[in-house]
Amino acid sequence: MKALNSSNMGGRSMNIQMRESEGAIHGKKGTVDHGNYVEVPVVCGPGVKEIASGEHIHEVFVVGPDGTQASLPSGIVVGEAATADIIFIVLPGVKQDIPLTVDLVGEGSTVHLAGIYLCSGNDHVTFDITMNHRVGHCVSRQVFNGLAANASKAEFFGRIVVAPDAQKTEAYQENHNVVLSDNAHVNTKPRLEIYADDVKCSHGATVGRLDEDAQFYMESRGIPEDEAKVLQMISFVAPVLEYAPEADREALATRVEDAIRHLSSV
Amino acid sequence: MNDILLEIKDLHASAGDKEILRGVNLEIGRGEIHAVMGPNGAGKSTLSSVLTGKPEYTVTQGSIEFMGQDLLAMKPEERAWAGIFMSFQYPIEIPGVSITNFMKTAINSKRKAQGIEPMKAADFLRLMKEKMALVQMKPEFAKREVNVGFSGGEKKRNEIFQMAMLDPTLAILDETDSGLDVDALKIVADGVKALHSPEKSAIIITHYQKLLEYVRPDVVHVLKAGRIVATGGYEIVDKIENEGFEQF
Repeated sequence: MKALNSSNMGGRSMNIQMRESEGAIHGKKGTVDHGNYVEVPVVCGPGVKEIASGEHIHEVFVVGPDGTQASLPSGIVVGEAATADIIFIVLPGVKQDIPLTVDLVGEGSTVHLAGIYLCSGNDHVTFDITMNHRVGHCVSRQVFNGLAANASKAEFFGRIVVAPDAQKTEAYQENHNVVLSDNAHVNTKPRLEIYADDVKCSHGATVGRLDEDAQFYMESRGIPEDEAKVLQMISFVAPVLEYAPEADREALATRVEDAIRHLSSV
Repeated sequence: MNDILLEIKDLHASAGDKEILRGVNLEIGRGEIHAVMGPNGAGKSTLSSVLTGKPEYTVTQGSIEFMGQDLLAMKPEERAWAGIFMSFQYPIEIPGVSITNFMKTAINSKRKAQGIEPMKAADFLRLMKEKMALVQMKPEFAKREVNVGFSGGEKKRNEIFQMAMLDPTLAILDETDSGLDVDALKIVADGVKALHSPEKSAIIITHYQKLLEYVRPDVVHVLKAGRIVATGGYEIVDKIENEGFEQF
């Protein structure tokens, strides 16, 4: 939504696009300054999902107040030429940290992480995501949009690490938030650590409010104030639902809409 | 009996500390088309915003009656339900909401307020199809997100389409002609004419005469520095075209 981007409050947006570092021009082609890169071990343990080379997964995780958290992965290890499409829907009534580390260990893979979080009451939701591009020629895309109502708190920590040898990486991250009350709190911290020199990376983060012009436009068509707000909120999270498997999309959209209606009535 | 649809008396309105309308008097009879012309900054858009209840304007003095009701006491959506529609100068984009869903919500909100059952899906789709044909809008637009990626002409056409769907008693066209080429202007004008009937009225706000050549207004007003400084017939349009707004 136009005005949401323009009412970017404290959010940052930057684009990094690097080609042929100075080092390469001076004959050190193929070698890269590792800078401060510290290689950490690939995630392992019971909460870690392994995606074998050539495998394709598309999963939806709905986190509700009834405690769906047990099945959430804490890590994903992606093999070669694999795809992982994962969408999180966090419904109102949730207090939860959602840490997730993705390790791309095989070339030619694609990871999409998408998320919608709808926080109300005293909810506190924290996404803490690390996307490790350990090898080259992989694409990762993250799209998280959230709403914070009442006295809720929503946090998004998104770290992208591109290892020195992970050339031809493409890594993108978007996090957009709408604050619905003066007591709600949003914290968004994108972080890019890029040690390779031939990559395309970007991130964008915004925190805004519902758009008054859109609100008046809808009201002038006879849509009451509350319904117009609901339409704006649906409009705000709609792009994320595009990442849901087609077969589930309509059911998820209905579930999200119901939750938004609940959110705006509390 | 003189059937007055809209009566504006001594209307003063401000945006922030700035007084923009300084005593507007205007009467619109049922079935009449009025044009409000004026230079930039005269208060034309403020007038349409006040009529539709845009929150950033404050009415400091005066009254507006619409079909005997106190318009200024009504919320924007209540004004829409009462039969007022404004075609926006700059229509707003609403990503993620299709034109179909938008119109269905608008129409059923009004029905709900009036205690009528929601429109049946088949009836609604028939109405959509009929009105889209009227404004020559391609059927695929029904699924498009409201105004997203539309050209200037498509946005204005979508305004006239919404007007056709909502069937207002008083249509306000706020600079609907600005930024339109002749073909798009003709479509807008044809739509306005097709929707007009002896029970309905329209206010065309503009600073060009082009749209008025197609939709001949019954009464023409000149708004300048927040007041109506002249009222007459179509001859005023010619006068403005020849000599500008300076003469008033």
